[in-house]
Amino acid sequence: MNLATTRRISPHALASAAFRLRELGIFLALAIAVLFFSIRADNFMTVGNWQDIANDVALVAVLAVGQTMVVLTRNIDLSVGSIVGLTAYISSDTLAHHHGLPLVATALIAIGIGLGCGIVNGLLVAVGKIPAIIATIATLAIYRGLLFQITGGQNVLAFQLPESFLDLAAKKPLGLPLLAWIALAVALAGAAVLRWASWGRDFYAVGSNPEAARYAGIPVGRRIMTAFAISGALAGLGGFMFAARFASVDAVAGTNLEFDAVTAVVVGGVNVFGGSGTVLGAVLGALLVSTVQDGFTLMKLSEFWKMFFNGTAIVVAVTIDALITHRLQEALRRRRRAEVVAAREGEAPA
Amino acid sequence: MSAVPPLVELRDVSKSYGGVQAVAEVSFAIDPARVHALVGENGAGKSTLVKILTGVVAPDEGELLLDGQPEHIGDALSARRLGIVAMYQDPTVFEDLSVAENVFAGRHLRGTARTVDWRAMRREAGRILHDLGGDFAPDAPVRGLGVADRQLIEIAKALSTNARLLIMDEPTAALSVQEVENLFATVRRLRERGVAVLFISHRLEEVSAIADVVTVLRDGRHVATRDAAELSHGEMIRLMVGRSLEALFPKEDAEIGDVVFRAEGLTRRGVFSDVSFELRRGEIVGLAGFVGAGRTEVARAIFGIDRLDAGRLTIDGRRFTARSPRSALRRGLAYLPEDRLRQGLIQPMSVERNASMAVLPSLSPAGVLQPWRERRLARRFMEQLRIKATSPAQVVRSLSGGNQQKVVLSKWLATQPKVLLLDEPTHGVDVGTKADVHRTISHLATQGLAILLISSELPEILGMSDRVLVLREGRLVADVPRAEATQERIVEAAAGIARSAA
Amino acid sequence: MKAVGRVLAGLVFRWEAVLVLLIFAAAFWSTTLSDLFLTRANLLDLTTPYIFIGLMALGLTLVVVAGEIDISIASILAVSVVVLGQVFEAGANVWVAAAVGLLVATGLGLVNGLLVGVVGLPSLAVTLGTLAAYRGLAFLINSGEGVASFPVGFTNIGSGYVWGQQVPIALLVFLGAAVALGFLLHATRFGRYLYAIGSNREAARFSGVPVTLVRVAVFGVSGLMAGIAGLVYVGFFGSTRADAADGSLLDVVTAVVLGGVDIFGGAGTILGVVLSVVLVSELRNGMQLDNLGGDTQNIVIGVLLLAAILAGNALRALQTSGLRARIARARHKEVMRPSSRTEGIT
Repeated sequence: MNLATTRRISPHALASAAFRLRELGIFLALAIAVLFFSIRADNFMTVGNWQDIANDVALVAVLAVGQTMVVLTRNIDLSVGSIVGLTAYISSDTLAHHHGLPLVATALIAIGIGLGCGIVNGLLVAVGKIPAIIATIATLAIYRGLLFQITGGQNVLAFQLPESFLDLAAKKPLGLPLLAWIALAVALAGAAVLRWASWGRDFYAVGSNPEAARYAGIPVGRRIMTAFAISGALAGLGGFMFAARFASVDAVAGTNLEFDAVTAVVVGGVNVFGGSGTVLGAVLGALLVSTVQDGFTLMKLSEFWKMFFNGTAIVVAVTIDALITHRLQEALRRRRRAEVVAAREGEAPA
Repeated sequence: MSAVPPLVELRDVSKSYGGVQAVAEVSFAIDPARVHALVGENGAGKSTLVKILTGVVAPDEGELLLDGQPEHIGDALSARRLGIVAMYQDPTVFEDLSVAENVFAGRHLRGTARTVDWRAMRREAGRILHDLGGDFAPDAPVRGLGVADRQLIEIAKALSTNARLLIMDEPTAALSVQEVENLFATVRRLRERGVAVLFISHRLEEVSAIADVVTVLRDGRHVATRDAAELSHGEMIRLMVGRSLEALFPKEDAEIGDVVFRAEGLTRRGVFSDVSFELRRGEIVGLAGFVGAGRTEVARAIFGIDRLDAGRLTIDGRRFTARSPRSALRRGLAYLPEDRLRQGLIQPMSVERNASMAVLPSLSPAGVLQPWRERRLARRFMEQLRIKATSPAQVVRSLSGGNQQKVVLSKWLATQPKVLLLDEPTHGVDVGTKADVHRTISHLATQGLAILLISSELPEILGMSDRVLVLREGRLVADVPRAEATQERIVEAAAGIARSAA
Repeated sequence: MKAVGRVLAGLVFRWEAVLVLLIFAAAFWSTTLSDLFLTRANLLDLTTPYIFIGLMALGLTLVVVAGEIDISIASILAVSVVVLGQVFEAGANVWVAAAVGLLVATGLGLVNGLLVGVVGLPSLAVTLGTLAAYRGLAFLINSGEGVASFPVGFTNIGSGYVWGQQVPIALLVFLGAAVALGFLLHATRFGRYLYAIGSNREAARFSGVPVTLVRVAVFGVSGLMAGIAGLVYVGFFGSTRADAADGSLLDVVTAVVLGGVDIFGGAGTILGVVLSVVLVSELRNGMQLDNLGGDTQNIVIGVLLLAAILAGNALRALQTSGLRARIARARHKEVMRPSSRTEGIT
């Protein structure tokens, strides 16, 4: 029996087990939440309610996919809420004045604007070397301010919008709301990019070890820009979806949505230090966040539990992740070192 | 000699840092498909050469030729593109990614529609690793792998980028005997493929086992390049060390008092074990050993930076547990770290602020700073240690290495320690300052301090120490009194060579 | 003579000098917008609506100097203000209520501190979480209308005047806090430790600095300052609603960065932050005179924040390519910047 092989089995198993544990953990939390709310909240387990949840999750999930890419590179994008508001308004306003415009075209406009906002973020962080947190706090305000400029205090009201647009949110192919299907498609695309695209894999490398990534020839700056661009573009799509869902869009649309996205991502196991995490995790996180919020609403608890829950979830998730990684690392390192020493001591004296 | 130009040739390469000449007029050639060992004491210039080869620094003089053509290597990435890859003791990996991904980072194998071809990467990585003797799965997470495995990954990475020269810097430091064997087998396979390996190690028995050619450096100069078969260990040592001990600053005779510090059975799993020694007042005890032997680690553990797994520490007869540098300080210990820039000094701060950092509580009653007292302290040490700075307010970042070191020393002397742990105190320091530092250390001993001097410079150890402890692979293997200490004796103990092979 | 020249040059090229220049420039701009700008009453009252922001900025400065960040301060203010309201409503004396509010604020700050200093979590992630958690908490404590009937003696903190109804008490509070925190940062051991930790945490630890203690404490100070800011807030706006200071984070961060405090830690002065608070107040005031809406003003402040950091980065780049650095580099190998916050999301 090769001693070397026996030694090597456990460390792998340990590490992969730890990560699987994480996703299991979210599942568990989700299960507990569902159980809890089905008992304590009225009408929780109805089809109608779950379709509502699906619509909520859809929006957050789309944002979360973009946020995942950014966080993987060791950054963060707090401006997505403002981008959603901006693009939601522009989508609505455009349709209100051009009833004939195809919906897909409008969606593309929204995505395009979001993309532009994301590129600005990317430039500030990758080229300007501004820490992402500061850069996106600034653009959060700037984009929101621009929205206020554009609206000029006016809302777009539901009756101004074409029927086809208003119907969008109501469609439920196969029982699942259309918006959820869109989110599903985005999630699958995101997961595909992170798994099958070379530049998508590069996000992990950049977040795991930026210096090593540079040495390996990965264009770190360009990758970071791409991540922010995607986050912005998806926020644009989110804006379109937002407008479709809520019809009436005003200047405060999308406020605090970035928190939902970040919570989903962090709770979903995407490491705030970058380098690890999956779209699946983020989507599960989005599911958990929206489910809990919905449950709170049904329990007639004030909506402010939502903010409290989001914040606490972030802190708890980060703490758990830090402890898991730390413990795992320590355990693996010590075991490995002990093995080396034991093998050394087994040597014949020089 | 064949007409094919050597793979890499250095011609009269020189490099100095400030006043310190790291390498001077070094010339030798590395041929492909050969294992070329580079030996020399710590500070002989090996790491500087590696930095030059990998483009991290540029030589002041001389040229570098690749395949007979002069090349200018601007940065690490360029070196890699030219086929020069270095592998250090602690390989740089992407912890969060799998083995295969690490091997192909940034150069993913593409399949249909230019998507990442995981199967091909797994297969290819698996094949390369298998050829190299690795037995872990290509999709294992790297986080769980130890140093030996990570080294294999780096080698696999180098192979897959068609590296032509693989530099291995002390690769066996953290490996077991079996793993070293595996590594050697890998190196031989590399040689068969035509890759040149520059093998840097202080373990002379390994050098003899694996190298085809050996280059010896001493004090930054090239001493010899010979076929390994022609070089015995004794001969190697003589070449590495053979200098006349020039007149160092004569050590003042200090009265050696009673034991002030005792370490018993110090152990840190996997790093050092069962290290025991005593320090007496007025005594300077040298701690010698090669890089990776564990000297710094022992000092750090004593000072409370790292945890001890076992062992007792006693100061002045009272037991103490080193929980943090702060608690160690309070008990009269002081530690001058090896990495002066990153651990010893706060670069953007002034001389006086750095000097007073460890004793600030006593200089600031009720928490209020009294800058004039800090200035006075700084001036005192500037005079005592002859620190060359425009004023105590000068920012430490702009001082020379030697003066920076003196500032660090001041900081610790200000705490009036009983035991001073010095880790490479004259590393990267010019000759003039070196003498100053030596004089100070010697003087401190006469004042009753107990000093543990960790150094890689044999003349320094031999000149300053009353006794020399030698650490090898984490164990204390020798305790040599001054009268019996010679360079050869120390190196033999550090390398683990039996004395009979004179 | 050359020495004098050098001293002058040293002064002129300091960030604070640039700020003073900008303050004058902004004043000039404001006078073009309104004749009333240059009256004494107006000048003294210029910063009053923003004092609560200034107070938070002072607290945040200490945190940033130590190499961390705290974006939960506005939320801490909200909780402390809501608690104050509730305690007061319950019948307690207003000063007792204020004391409780301050205690709560400091406590919330210490929670941040423990998570960062003891548990070792990145301050960005922690305060991002507590920003939301504390804001939610504030609403949970009281989601309704805030208490409006505070005794004048109390509200004077935010909206009262002394010396013939001219000097706002809030301004005095701010200046007093600036002196106190300036003293703390520049003249005490604690402050010195903050700079050390922010420049090179490892070296500080090796030198016997009580790193954990200091890091926990500085978040407590930040929390306390948010609490004091809350008192002024209530005094000025007369509201203890849970949405207090919502949206003020931008101005607070801008004030700190614009004040010359290095976002990566280890550098910055209280004087700089005081000046930038004045500047930001002037700009907001001026934009108001120009009839720009609050959200439009935010665009300007946001751009200012970005510009301030870019300027700082550019200056640092210049420094590292300057003569001095070339000498240093020639002497040694890479002079690496200790990264106290490049772990985590930056």
